[in-house]
Amino acid sequence: MSGSSENIVSFSRVTKAYRRPGLFRHVSVPALGGLSLELKRGEIAGLLGLNGAGKTTIMKLMTGLLFPDAGEVSVFGLPPSDVASKKRIGFLPELPYFYPYSTAAEALIYYAGLSGLKGPAARARVDAVIEKVGLKPHASKKAAEFSKGMMQRLGVAQAIVHDPELLILDEPVSGLDPLAIHEIRELISQFNGEGKTVFLSSHSISELEKITDRVFILVQGRLAKTVARAEWENTQGGLEEIFVRTVR
Amino acid sequence: MKRTLYLVLPLAAALALAGPWAFLTCARQFPPADKIGTVRQGAVEDAVALALGVRRLAADLWFIRLMQYYGTPELLEGEGEEEALERGENGAGKYPDFLPVARHILALDPYFTNAGLYAAGSLAFNMARPEEAVSLLNGALIYRPKEWKYVALLAAIGYSKAKNPAKVSELITPLIMEPDCPVMIRQLAAFLNKRMGNYSAAYRIYKTIIETTKDRFYIDNARKEMAKLEKMKGFQY
Amino acid sequence: MKYLNTAWSIARHSLRENYKNRFFGLFVVFAGVLIYASLLAGVMAVDEEARVITDLGLALMELITLVYALLAAAAAITNEIKTKTIYLVFSRPVPRAAYLAGKAAGLYAAFALMLGVMALIHLSLLYFRGFVLPPFYLTAVLFIWCKLIIITSAALFVSLFATSTVSTVAITGILWTLGHFTSEAKFLIIKSSGAAALVLKAVAYFIPNFQLFNARDLGATAPPAAPPGFLAGYLLLWLVVPYLFSLLLFRKKEF
Repeated sequence: MSGSSENIVSFSRVTKAYRRPGLFRHVSVPALGGLSLELKRGEIAGLLGLNGAGKTTIMKLMTGLLFPDAGEVSVFGLPPSDVASKKRIGFLPELPYFYPYSTAAEALIYYAGLSGLKGPAARARVDAVIEKVGLKPHASKKAAEFSKGMMQRLGVAQAIVHDPELLILDEPVSGLDPLAIHEIRELISQFNGEGKTVFLSSHSISELEKITDRVFILVQGRLAKTVARAEWENTQGGLEEIFVRTVR
Repeated sequence: MKRTLYLVLPLAAALALAGPWAFLTCARQFPPADKIGTVRQGAVEDAVALALGVRRLAADLWFIRLMQYYGTPELLEGEGEEEALERGENGAGKYPDFLPVARHILALDPYFTNAGLYAAGSLAFNMARPEEAVSLLNGALIYRPKEWKYVALLAAIGYSKAKNPAKVSELITPLIMEPDCPVMIRQLAAFLNKRMGNYSAAYRIYKTIIETTKDRFYIDNARKEMAKLEKMKGFQY
Repeated sequence: MKYLNTAWSIARHSLRENYKNRFFGLFVVFAGVLIYASLLAGVMAVDEEARVITDLGLALMELITLVYALLAAAAAITNEIKTKTIYLVFSRPVPRAAYLAGKAAGLYAAFALMLGVMALIHLSLLYFRGFVLPPFYLTAVLFIWCKLIIITSAALFVSLFATSTVSTVAITGILWTLGHFTSEAKFLIIKSSGAAALVLKAVAYFIPNFQLFNARDLGATAPPAAPPGFLAGYLLLWLVVPYLFSLLLFRKKEF
């Protein structure tokens, strides 16, 4: 695990609210309020918070799936909706879903193509990634036949198939067995070992403790605390203790 | 956003103009809906046909109904089925719905020429109602003014009323040369040739009827007539 | 060029998604069964059997493909949003314009495939009954496809603001029937006045005029509705304009 001083992602006083249909007019549900944070190149950063804290909102803002109501988000110095910035990121949403009639290989070829990989280069990369995530025995199975763990591996595979510089993972180990969790953790470490940046959210405090350099704690759409590894390693009760104190 | 707007506005304007232009200038191909009329409580069916753009199919289904109607013996009060069959031999009978249904078919699909010929021929030569046949053909010619088959049959009906079978036969000969000529026109041509003593021509037409139609009534009749001709002294075919 | 490559990838994927869907096969099989069942109607038509089998077969092809088209178009984008597969697309360098174009093109190709297979089934029936290919057949099938891609273009646009797939299907179904009524609207306009006449005129002018492409109903002898150049331009406008309006709605859509 390493870090450097260059910021590749920056949130500057970002506000976001969701509009839900109400009886006579839309109801505004705040998700983020004046949030500011930076991600450094080469680090593994975690996002921790209760349900509804705004973790997924942050990730969607980074990937251009949502647009901020106020403030500014930049990824590699560009707006997240810019295709040039999207080329350099890989995103794993929570509980990824794939077209049921596609095989793993077909799905990855498709997504690799959308990321700019074509022809034999794409094919070679897909084969390598399938092997890397441990899906080789299941490569020709249809996604409809996949277990949860296999879906998650395929999700990681599509996120890394185009060799992005920044990996954004939303709950990457959610619902997985311990062996699968271990393998995903290994993949993340390997990825970071190549100099790539990882940003992940999780409900599992112990997972974040094992792998991240820094953790951002979110409370009701605001960045309540940024905790470096050194801090929770020197705190009785570790990251959990810091989190509970921050949230209460 | 601006680029999309610069594109969408002129194209939307072009589309907004194309619609009215097409509506106002394109030739009407079918009679308007108010000319279709209601026959045998078929208004809903006709409305669905117009809504789905299946006028031609609707005309086909009405034509099947017409043939079934015409092919069913009319039972008069106190009459048995056998008597009705005998009375209705050669297609004679009242069949009060025949003309309205025939008109309905052509109002739905004025390009269904065979239905027009079949219906007019049946009215004129089987049911002895030449005025109704003429009325049907004149209505059909409004939407098909260049349809020579209607004109030929109109002329043939005229000469039939004037009791000139030779002229009738001459006029309908081009009709029976068409591969999809209605069988009852061919049957009429065979009958007229036989009446005028052109037995070879009549025989050939009956043979064509057997080869081209699936209607059992006309096939059986043609076989019967051919057998009669074969038995005639000195007849060669 | 990159835009075209991306749109092409999405189109191929959309086509594959459709023909691998079991409902695609079911619709084709269902159509095949009904087309062969039309033999009964053909037999009842006696000497007009060829015409009846042709007309019934073409009508069945159009209606069955229409039902599939409306369902597929209504769900094409909304299903991707619901299942969140769209996250995996738009977290990538995929321009939204290319995505929309690719989705639409994939659907158009899927309908062409469906119609092609159904046409082969239909032609096999005509062949076995000893009938020749009707002269207007290929034009009729092509124009059925033209009508379907127009209504699909409209359905994709409607699906971006409709509240559900069912409402999209209902709205575009109504558009389909109104589009066939445009030529009948003339006599209604003459009989109406005031607001009713204005509404009817708006419908007749601005709803897609499907009667222009109803070659199936015109057969071989009826004159074409409009010159081929106008029809091609009209078709292109009805594909491009809804696409551009869809793009205006879609460019700022959040997921």
